Amino acid sequence: MPRPEVRIVTFSIDGREVQAPEGVMLVDGAKHGDVEIPVFCYEPKLGQPVGACRMCLVEIEGIPKLQTACSTPVKDGMVVHTQTTRVREAQNSVVEFLLVNHPLDCPVCDKGGECPLQDITFGWGRGISRMVEPKRHFKKPLELSPLIAIDRERCILCYRCVRFSQEVSEDYQLILHERGAQSYVGTFDSHPYVAPFSGNIIELCPVGALTSRPYRFRARPWDIEGAGTVCTLCPSQCNVELTVRDERVLRVLGRDHADVDDGWLCDKGRFAYQAIHSEERIVEPLVRDGDQLRPASWERALSAAASALGKARGSVGALAGGTTTNEEAFLLQRLVREGLGSADVDSRIDGSPMPLELQRALAAPALGATVPDIEFAHTVLVLGTEPVDDAPILDLRIRKGVRRRGVQLAVATPRPSSLDRNAKLWLRYAPGAEHAFLAALEAALGASGDVDRLCAVADADPKAVRALADLLGEDGRGDVVILWGERVGAAALPALLNVAGRLGLAEREGAGLLEVPASANGRGLREAGMQPNAGPGLSEVAAAGRSAQQIAAAAADGELAALYLLHTDPIRDGADAPLWRRALARASTVIAHSAFLTDELREHATVVFPAESYAEKEGTVTHPDGRLQRLRPGIGHPGSVRAEWSVLAELERAVSVRVPQGDTNGHSSPLTGPMATRQLVEAVPFYAGLTLEEIGGRGVRWQERAAAEAFPAGPAGPFDVGEPTPVASPHGALRLGTFRSIWAAPEVEHAPALKFLARSATLEVSPADAERLGIENGDRVRVGNDDRSVEARAAIRGNAPAGTVFLDAGLPAGGASELVDGTPVSVDRAGVEVTA
Amino acid sequence: MSELLLFKDIDEPGLASREVYERRGGYESLKRALRMPREEVLQNLLDSGLRGRGGAGFAMGKKASFLPKGTMDKYLVCNADESEPGTFKDRELMQKSPHMLVEGMIIAAYAADANRSFIYIRGEYQQQAEILERAIEEARSAGYLGERILGSDHSLSLVLHRGAGAYICGEETGLLDSLEGKRGNPRLKPPFPANQGLYQGPTLINNVETLATVPHIIRLGGQEYAKLGTETSTGTKLVSVSGNVQRPGNYEIELGIPAREIIFGLAGGPERGRDVKFWFPGGSSSPVLTPAELDLPYDFDSMAKAGSMLGSGAIIVVDDSQSVVDVALTLAKFYRHESCGKCTPCREGTNWTVKMLQRVESGEATPMDLDIIASVQEQIMGNCLCVLGDAMAMPVASMVSKFRDEFEAHIETRRAQLGLGEPTEPTPLEAVGVGS
Repeated sequence: MPRPEVRIVTFSIDGREVQAPEGVMLVDGAKHGDVEIPVFCYEPKLGQPVGACRMCLVEIEGIPKLQTACSTPVKDGMVVHTQTTRVREAQNSVVEFLLVNHPLDCPVCDKGGECPLQDITFGWGRGISRMVEPKRHFKKPLELSPLIAIDRERCILCYRCVRFSQEVSEDYQLILHERGAQSYVGTFDSHPYVAPFSGNIIELCPVGALTSRPYRFRARPWDIEGAGTVCTLCPSQCNVELTVRDERVLRVLGRDHADVDDGWLCDKGRFAYQAIHSEERIVEPLVRDGDQLRPASWERALSAAASALGKARGSVGALAGGTTTNEEAFLLQRLVREGLGSADVDSRIDGSPMPLELQRALAAPALGATVPDIEFAHTVLVLGTEPVDDAPILDLRIRKGVRRRGVQLAVATPRPSSLDRNAKLWLRYAPGAEHAFLAALEAALGASGDVDRLCAVADADPKAVRALADLLGEDGRGDVVILWGERVGAAALPALLNVAGRLGLAEREGAGLLEVPASANGRGLREAGMQPNAGPGLSEVAAAGRSAQQIAAAAADGELAALYLLHTDPIRDGADAPLWRRALARASTVIAHSAFLTDELREHATVVFPAESYAEKEGTVTHPDGRLQRLRPGIGHPGSVRAEWSVLAELERAVSVRVPQGDTNGHSSPLTGPMATRQLVEAVPFYAGLTLEEIGGRGVRWQERAAAEAFPAGPAGPFDVGEPTPVASPHGALRLGTFRSIWAAPEVEHAPALKFLARSATLEVSPADAERLGIENGDRVRVGNDDRSVEARAAIRGNAPAGTVFLDAGLPAGGASELVDGTPVSVDRAGVEVTA
Repeated sequence: MSELLLFKDIDEPGLASREVYERRGGYESLKRALRMPREEVLQNLLDSGLRGRGGAGFAMGKKASFLPKGTMDKYLVCNADESEPGTFKDRELMQKSPHMLVEGMIIAAYAADANRSFIYIRGEYQQQAEILERAIEEARSAGYLGERILGSDHSLSLVLHRGAGAYICGEETGLLDSLEGKRGNPRLKPPFPANQGLYQGPTLINNVETLATVPHIIRLGGQEYAKLGTETSTGTKLVSVSGNVQRPGNYEIELGIPAREIIFGLAGGPERGRDVKFWFPGGSSSPVLTPAELDLPYDFDSMAKAGSMLGSGAIIVVDDSQSVVDVALTLAKFYRHESCGKCTPCREGTNWTVKMLQRVESGEATPMDLDIIASVQEQIMGNCLCVLGDAMAMPVASMVSKFRDEFEAHIETRRAQLGLGEPTEPTPLEAVGVGS
């Protein structure tokens, strides 16, 4: 779908000639002439205006009644007045009406000082009140949810929160009860409003009716500073503004970026800041002393790490994940490759290595889709990912596209998706059967291959696959965007590329592929060289090293002496927890950067460096669509935490034998953050010339810069799809699928406000299987295969496919990674042993 | 004179059945209309000059002509929510002659090229809903509803939906939301229902009486119908007369006859010994008129010129035994109760007005409060999302301005009764300007 073309119209406002894009609402058009029209209910992010608050009434010549500027598009030649007596009186009136029932408790209100109602009362109100009657009363404040307090007396009934719940996040929980002056916001049956995006209503509220419980009474606007940065808790990389008071992050707000987050945040991004200030956070280096980790000085920790790594030269495996920046990844791979002579670096902790040729083909600038493309595409296919868990903010973007721009949505996933109900078409295939499914789709799009046979291998419905091919492939249908998850797996990628080729995605401006990586900066880590078969800039390496899974196996077999874990807990993030436990136990040296201690680190780590939180970090990250974004420190480091790029640089200096190429200053290792960035940029040809200034506060997509020409082109398709391996046939057992919840993260577990959402192992079972196994909702069950098992709570899901169960991954322990991937599981009710 | 068109056979026993209705010439207009091209039917409606009988008085044919052409689903919705206090004409019409409405709807749908229709009837009209259901069923079995009606290319479905008793659901867009299963709140206009109405499709919404008039227009011919009434208020009108009159009820009148003829001639005027103090010419939301205005012709324009409106044609007569304060308070309470709460001036304005009138009633107010009441009504009028706010503000403002003396006297009497003494007028505070 082509973006609407922007025509400029000229209209007059308060006697001034103003030019503005055609079709924008008068409220926004007026800003082009520096005229502010006050609003409460108007918020373009929420969709069509509702004209409820009546604050924006203006006079338009030729129309007898005053008009709401929020809902009147500017037209050529329109003559608007916002300062006439008539308009002023209407504005005064609305302010007066709004305050009739407002408690005016500004001195004790959290919103005081940053409250649109205060500001508008000051700017457009009469300054006096004629109301002497008693006001409306409600019980207050009440808990709308564990995260949000509601004060219904302050509410001016602008509808924003209700519209958000109904029309943006589509959780359909918030409604307006009663009517008239007795109206109030709540949930239908007063259950707590818990939803992945609930916190946005706090920011939407133009008064102090909805307040953040973690932030309540913590600060006044004049106590705080705002610090812009990027949230790196998931690949969405939303732009945020940290509210900082006395070097503590007290709140996280959205920093609207239409090309990234559309101004929304998920509740993890909004509330997990509490983990930054957790008592349990590691804030000083820890060094092993016998069977204990003890705090140590930086000198000691660095020299202990350097000497241990030095001893293991040539036998070091390194992993990076989580909030790792491009610079850190670049320095770590240089440290390991050049300083320690090992090729074993990876950033796909639970994935399979991706052949370099395929990577280059997939990351080709022409084939890349951007976040806004999702909204303007003709058809969006969500493939093998659950956006609300894997990159939450994209979930909202997809819903927006479907709701407001008529995007056709197709969902192809093993597990039922929360987007199914918005989809024109959804289909299921067996967990891990992406290869067969995509091969079938390619065949249905006209390639050779037997659709029915491949569908049988994928356990997908051939009719649905053909319908999907029709939906995607019909000529002249417009742009298709395929949003695919990294967990789709390397074997499926040739077929994915062929599908993209058949659909001509590379040739269309608004079409393409968009990968949701498994870790927050997955794309950046790979482009910085943090993978076994590619160096910085997806360059070729002399000899490929071991992938994450191979590193684990090698370490467990004693073939690797040292493991370096940068912001990753492989027990949680990896595919095989028992193997990683063996690996960590066997390795003689384990160096980790971590914010929190895990059992394994406590037992096996040689040195633990304190990890910075993203609020303290300096550096860059790369968004899944190629946008480089800048992290800027919002707070100082707690305790003796140091910038981690500098820790890596120190280690490099300590172990290095030679000066790396390309550093014109002659320093082997960076001495400042920007220097680290420069070295990274010099090493990645398609980042060439990029500076922190250019990235600025809004980021820049490298594909849109001239240096993108230096991108190493991959081979042209079609690619050899190969024969898909059949997924294991369950033979009476059940297939195991996994998912990683948005809440399966250490930041959630360490943020007191979010703790109630932290995941424990849940097994999603179809009603048919549950009945067959005699399981009821909430039962404790034991799930197992190959002599391994975990205990989980059963959750019966009406739309889950029979024959497959889905188990939580990403847990600190006891999740899906305890089991053998791809092997059928048996499920039994756990022996209920009641202990007195 | 009082039984011209709609009420001609209204008391005919069994008229609610198709058999009797047809014996009285029912459904002949439908057959006639279906023989005409669509455009001709529409032209008849335009020629008739028929203005909507629901309150706003918008030309019905014109509204029907606004619907865009095309093959999409188009809707005709009959507003049978009849919720304006004082109005009860549609009830009698639906109860006694349901087929007239059904026939009118089929013809109107044909004229507007609508293929789906609904009757949204207020929840309290259970009996009428049952009667209508029977009539719809009879019409359907006679082939007047459904696919290819009477062999023409006109198809129409008709569904009756009962409301749940909210005044605001009589507002056309609130009605549409309610019909869609949502909370009945008015929508922002534009877009108007003709373009984006029910389920975002083109929609024609008309009142029961308006639609019931359609068969008569087809029978007489639009131009012939236009000869009834005055030039700008054509035809006949059902008038519900209530309040202090001796013969309250529904009367069909030719538009343009003097109001006095309706109130005194037809409804018998107030009881002997009583005089008209004021009267609402068009339902409780119309500004009140005084006895001096009784000789005005009862039509859309004359009422508007007098500062009021013909509205739904509900005349409420208040005689000199009543207190204007009571009337104002009762009315304000009604609108406060029915305000949906979506827009600020109506939600807060109705609520505040009630509180102020209560203080007037109890004698706690001062004459200055009457100024505030008047000013608050000014602040509501024209500033709301729909007309509910105006529906309270207009009559209350008219009462306060026309009967200010009585309001002041009431306050004084009450104060004396309560022993409150002379009111002390507080000195109004001057607003302090920004920066001073």
